Amino acid sequence: MRRIRRTAGSLLCICLLLLNTGCWDNRDINHRSLPLVMGIAYHENLYQIVLQIPEPLESGISLKILTQTGKTINQAVDKISARMESSVDLLHLKVILVEKEYAQLGLSDSITTFMRSREISPKALVVICDEKLDTFFEHVKVSMAPKGTTLYDSFEKNAGWNPQMALTRIWQVYRSIHSYTRDVAIPVYKSGKSGTIDYTGSAIIKNGRMVGQITPEETLLFNSVNGLGTQGKIEVMNNASVLILSNSTRHRSRLVHNIPYLDIELTLKVSIVETKGTPTTKLIKDELQEVLLQRFEHLFDKILASKADILGVGQYFRNKLPRSELSHWRTDYLPRMKVKLKVNPVIQNEGNLKLS
Amino acid sequence: MDRTWQITLMYFFIHLGLIFFLYPGDVISSTNDGHWLPVIIGFMVHLAAITVYMKGLSFIGRRDIISLYLEAGKGWPLLLLLPVTVYFLLIIIITLRYCAEMMTIVFLSNTPLWAIMLLFLLIAAFIAIKGIGTLLRTGVLTGMLCLPVILLFTAASFQNVDWRYIFPLADGFAFFTDSDFYQSFFAFAGGFLFLGFLQPYFTYRKKNIFIAALVLLPFFLFSVYIPVLTFGQATASTFHFPFIAALDSINLSWLMFDRITIFFFLCLISFTMLFLTMVLWSTIRVISRCIPVIKPSYLTFALPVLIFIACMAIPNWEDVKLLFEWNSYLRFYVVITIPLSTYFFGKRLQRKVDCHAAD
Repeated sequence: MRRIRRTAGSLLCICLLLLNTGCWDNRDINHRSLPLVMGIAYHENLYQIVLQIPEPLESGISLKILTQTGKTINQAVDKISARMESSVDLLHLKVILVEKEYAQLGLSDSITTFMRSREISPKALVVICDEKLDTFFEHVKVSMAPKGTTLYDSFEKNAGWNPQMALTRIWQVYRSIHSYTRDVAIPVYKSGKSGTIDYTGSAIIKNGRMVGQITPEETLLFNSVNGLGTQGKIEVMNNASVLILSNSTRHRSRLVHNIPYLDIELTLKVSIVETKGTPTTKLIKDELQEVLLQRFEHLFDKILASKADILGVGQYFRNKLPRSELSHWRTDYLPRMKVKLKVNPVIQNEGNLKLS
Repeated sequence: MDRTWQITLMYFFIHLGLIFFLYPGDVISSTNDGHWLPVIIGFMVHLAAITVYMKGLSFIGRRDIISLYLEAGKGWPLLLLLPVTVYFLLIIIITLRYCAEMMTIVFLSNTPLWAIMLLFLLIAAFIAIKGIGTLLRTGVLTGMLCLPVILLFTAASFQNVDWRYIFPLADGFAFFTDSDFYQSFFAFAGGFLFLGFLQPYFTYRKKNIFIAALVLLPFFLFSVYIPVLTFGQATASTFHFPFIAALDSINLSWLMFDRITIFFFLCLISFTMLFLTMVLWSTIRVISRCIPVIKPSYLTFALPVLIFIACMAIPNWEDVKLLFEWNSYLRFYVVITIPLSTYFFGKRLQRKVDCHAAD
């Protein structure tokens, strides 16, 4: 009796082992296409979807660019999938490239779709393309070296990213759609000459809609204030060029008669990388301050004009305003906001050479 | 036999499994700001319940609560054990169905529900047949494997936190009128009742349960505050599972896995399975003690079949939610009456014993 029970027990265990693989209607990896980049445009109530799929060849990799239109994003993807030998699997999508016109219309629907679906990772980068998708991808196919990670490498932080570029993921755009006091900036690219893609600045996104654009230099400042700007270089007037080694910010917020005041103290530790003539440390510091203040003024003017809180300054008033007031922060408080930036440049070192 | 450590760890793991799934979503939708208030209030209720329960259990010596109620006289077992049994059955059904649904939403989108539920039930029933000793050992083993993963990813989930989302700090007590607040008690309620069923087999020091409960408090707070601080209340309230969403946003470039959510999730699922097994075992004990005609071994076959059929009969997510809501009335009944009755019957029993000793 005991032996029978033991045998039955072990048989049951073996059966459970079979279930353990968790596979159901499993599709092998060679029957899947794993696009890394997805382009989205929206024309005349139809989504246009472009997928860039790396295809392994006997030697190296070729890029396949497939495009379809559909009433929804999923319909377009399914159309592509139906026309291919393998099924399209968006699990490894890393970059969402959005046509500028669509970004100006508002991305809320598609960002919500991406967040809802479990297939697309919320960590995928969002990037805006400042031309027609067709021409952009044609350029990529013709002039960029086909790799598994073509395009993606240009945007990701531990690859081709630069501190002048904004770095925004799907979940951050989604947060901007709902959050009362936080917006985001998305980098804007277009095809350049000699096989590159050019970065032209960052789009100001308010509630998921593109409402303005800032320059690369302003984006660097934006990144610095948000704590992302290290290793960025700043050209100081005509005298020198400095490298940001580290940055820290301190904020002090006040609310007087419903007018928000914010003092930002930005401490930049820099190293000198290039000089013209023989400038003194003091001169470099002064000019650095002047350049940054000027840039910040431009940046903030754009923020006020677009009423989009990409710097997240509203965050500093969360403890001063009740929730009911915070909900119209962007319209009632942000436009009246007074910001004072104080730049504290610290020249941490001067490189290998003494500064005259 | 003293199994203090195993039982304390079991209590801890079971609650970890309960915390991270439904709890954050319920708390976040119950209030707009000052989430710590509902968390602390729920925790206080939990602490009060286990204090009374532990005190009561210490009175009754090596008995379990089933024999305590059976000795208490006619009517009492019906009044106390019947709701407990129904409650247990309902939470098995809800948890099983719920976990299976989460599995399909999160990563097994092609696998049919019945297969997932069958797998869960088979494992739970198998351990339940083997008895409480096996269950505790399995618990410790699972915990050793899963706890490091959970701790690592909980720590990593602070990556995208913006502390300023913590404000506004308080908004009053409007959440008392919100049904989501009462549903959040799921994490506080069902997990500790098993402590009263262990006694004839194992004894344990009651103080350690308090320590484990205090260690749980940060996890209750983290599970709610990590999504709130990552996304902000306005965004976090749009998610079904805010903590899972917050976990999805973590970017660890040094880790070779892109989606760490799955690992975290599987660890939590194994803890939830421990919970399921524990409840199943308790249910079998209650029924077989109250109705001695039914042999426990028949029950271990009949109950899972019954549960499986019930799970299959629930058509969709909305109905799971509805069942969950109905269950919350029973939950409060059980959480209030079981510790209190244990305390009072225990005290009476002790007085009786004292009288006998005096004679």
